[in-house]
Amino acid sequence: MKTIITVIKKELLDTLRDRRTLVSAILLPTILLPVMLYGFTKISEKVMTKEKEKALKVALLNPPANFDSELDSEKYTIIDSIETMEQGRDAILGDDLDAMISFLDGYESKISGGQTAKVHMWYKSTNIMVKDRLTTIFEKYEKAILDDRIANLDITKETIDPIDLTRYDIAPKKEQIGKLVGGFLPYLFIIFCFTGCMYPALDLITGERERGTIETLLTSPASRFDILMGKVISIAVVGFAAAVLTIMGLVLSLKLIPDIPEDFLDAISNMVQMKSVLMLIVMILPLSLFFGGVISAMVVKAKSFKEAQSIITPISFMIIMPAMIGLLPGIELTWTTAMIPITNIALATKEIVADTINMGHYVFIVLSLVVLAVISVFVSYRQFSKEGMVL
Amino acid sequence: MISVRNVQKTYKLNKQQKKELQTSASSINAVNNISFECQPGRVFSLLGPNGAGKTTTLRMISTILKPTSGDIIVANESVTQNAQKVRSKIGFLTGSTNLYDRLTPSEVVNYFGTLHNMSKTDLDQRRDQLFTQLGIHDFSKKRIAQMSTGMKQKVSIARSMIHNPDVVIFDEPTSGLDVITANSIIELIKDCKAQNKTVIFSSHIMSEVDLLCDDLAIISKGDLVYNSSMDDFRRDFSNTSLTEAFINIVNKHSSAAV
Repeated sequence: MKTIITVIKKELLDTLRDRRTLVSAILLPTILLPVMLYGFTKISEKVMTKEKEKALKVALLNPPANFDSELDSEKYTIIDSIETMEQGRDAILGDDLDAMISFLDGYESKISGGQTAKVHMWYKSTNIMVKDRLTTIFEKYEKAILDDRIANLDITKETIDPIDLTRYDIAPKKEQIGKLVGGFLPYLFIIFCFTGCMYPALDLITGERERGTIETLLTSPASRFDILMGKVISIAVVGFAAAVLTIMGLVLSLKLIPDIPEDFLDAISNMVQMKSVLMLIVMILPLSLFFGGVISAMVVKAKSFKEAQSIITPISFMIIMPAMIGLLPGIELTWTTAMIPITNIALATKEIVADTINMGHYVFIVLSLVVLAVISVFVSYRQFSKEGMVL
Repeated sequence: MISVRNVQKTYKLNKQQKKELQTSASSINAVNNISFECQPGRVFSLLGPNGAGKTTTLRMISTILKPTSGDIIVANESVTQNAQKVRSKIGFLTGSTNLYDRLTPSEVVNYFGTLHNMSKTDLDQRRDQLFTQLGIHDFSKKRIAQMSTGMKQKVSIARSMIHNPDVVIFDEPTSGLDVITANSIIELIKDCKAQNKTVIFSSHIMSEVDLLCDDLAIISKGDLVYNSSMDDFRRDFSNTSLTEAFINIVNKHSSAAV
C-alpha cells in the first residue's frame, strides 16, 4: 500500500503540473458551464431586448382604413414604396424590409359582413421577434373586431367560449426541473470524467513508455501491480475531480447568475442537498475508476501519443452515445435500463436530481459500477503485466 | 555477483513478425541457453552486434523480462523466484536521459528512493551525498525540462544509485551522449568497481570496453560465442585490435550458423 501511495503522490504531482491536463480536467469543467450559462443568458437577453425595441420596416398592401394606427410609429416604420407582393418579397430577402402584410381582396366587406377575411404576412424566420411582434398586434386587432361582433349579435362571450379548461400540473417543480436539468447534467459530467481520465492516462502510461522512463521504473522494487494501481488511481482521481467540478460549476452558475427565475432556483437548490450530492459522488467514484481502468487497458499497448489517441477516440463515442440517452424524454430508469452501463448513470442522475430515485435501482447501479471498475482494473493489470506491452 | 545459468528467452511470433522476419517459425530465440558470471569489484562487458540479445539479457538480469528457461542469480537472489528482492539490489542506467520533465531532480530522486523503501533520514543523507558528488545541488530545484543533456544524465545517475545498489547494470550508457557527459558515466563505472560493486555493461564503443572492462562476453544471434577475462582475451588476440577481434568472432559465428 505504501508503494501505491508513493506512486499516486508522484503521478498527481506530475499531472497537476501538466497544463493540458489542468485545462481539460480542472479549468474547463469548472468554468465552462458558468461561462456558457452566463454568456448565453446575457447574450440572449441583450438580443431579445434589441429586437423588441428595434423599429420594424413594414409594408402594407391594401390595408383597411385606420390599420396604420395599430402600429406604434416609434416601433414600426411603414414603407409606402412597396406596391406588389414580388417587390415586398425581394425587399425582405434583401433585408430592406422586415415584413409585409397583405390584406386580400374584399377584406373590408368580409369583416363588416361578419365573414372571415384573409391576411397574408411575409417575413423571414431568421429575423427573430418579427413574427411574434406582428402576431401580437393582429391578436389585439382581431380581438377588437370580435368584441364588436359579439356586441352586434347581442350575445355574451361565454356563448362562443363554452368550455373553461383549467390545467393543473401536479408534478412537483423539483421533479419537472430535475428531469430537465438532470438529463443534461450527467451528459456533461460523464464526458468530463472521461476526458479528465484520458489526458493523464495518455501521459502516465503511454508517455512513460514513449519517454523510456518505464524501463527504469520497472527495475525498482515496486511491483507491476503497485505501479499500475498507483497510475490508475491517479487517473481516476483526476477524472473524479473533473466530474465533481462540472457539477459544482453548474450549481454555482445557477446560484450566481442573475435573471434566473426564482422557482427554478428553488427547485435547483434541492439539487445541492447533501443527500443528492453524496449520491452523485458515490456513483462518480466507481465510474472514474472504471474509466481509469478501461483507458489504461487500451493505451497500455500504444507506443506513442498519436497511437493512443487513435485508440481512445472510438471509445469516447461509445461513452457519449449511452450518456446522450439521458437527454431523451420518455426514457425512464427501470430494471432493464439500470443494466445498461453509462445510460444507467444518466437516468439515475435525472431521478436523483428530481428526488424520485428508486433505492433498489440506485444500489444496483452503484454495485454494477464497482464490479465494472474491478473488472476494468484487472484487465488493465493483465495488459500491463505482459512483457511486450510496456517495453 | 551475477550468475547467468543456461538462460533462454523465446518470443512467440505473430503473423506480422513472421512476415517481417521472413520465417514460418512460430517462435524465435532472442537468447539461446547462455551462461556466464560477473564478479564483485570487476567490470563485465557484454558485447554483440545490434539484435544479438544484449539488451534482452540485461533486461532479464534486471527482472524486466522473465527467462523462458534457466535462471539468473543476482546478489544471491533468483530473478525467477524473488524478482522484487533482486530489484532492490540493482541499479539500472541507460544512455537515454529521459526523465519526468515536470519534476525536479530532488523529486525524481526522492521518488525512486521511496520506492526502494529508504527511510527519510537515509534518503536525505544519500541524496545530499550524491548531489554533492555529481554537482547537482545548483540545479536541484529546477524542472528537468529546463535542463541540458549533461544535467539530466547526472540526475539519471543519482536516481539509479540512490539506494546504493550492490549490482549496477548499464545498457549502452554513453550512447548518444557528448564526450563530457559520457566521461561522467565512465567515472561512475570506475567508482562502482572501486566500491566492490558488481558491474555489467553493454556497449558498442570498443575504446570504453578496452578502458574499463575486466571480463567480457560476446553474444551473436542469441548465442554466447566468447566469454573470458580481458587478460585472456588480449592474450588470445594479441596481434589484433579489440574491434578486429570482435568482428572476427562474430563473423565466424555467423558463417558457422549459416
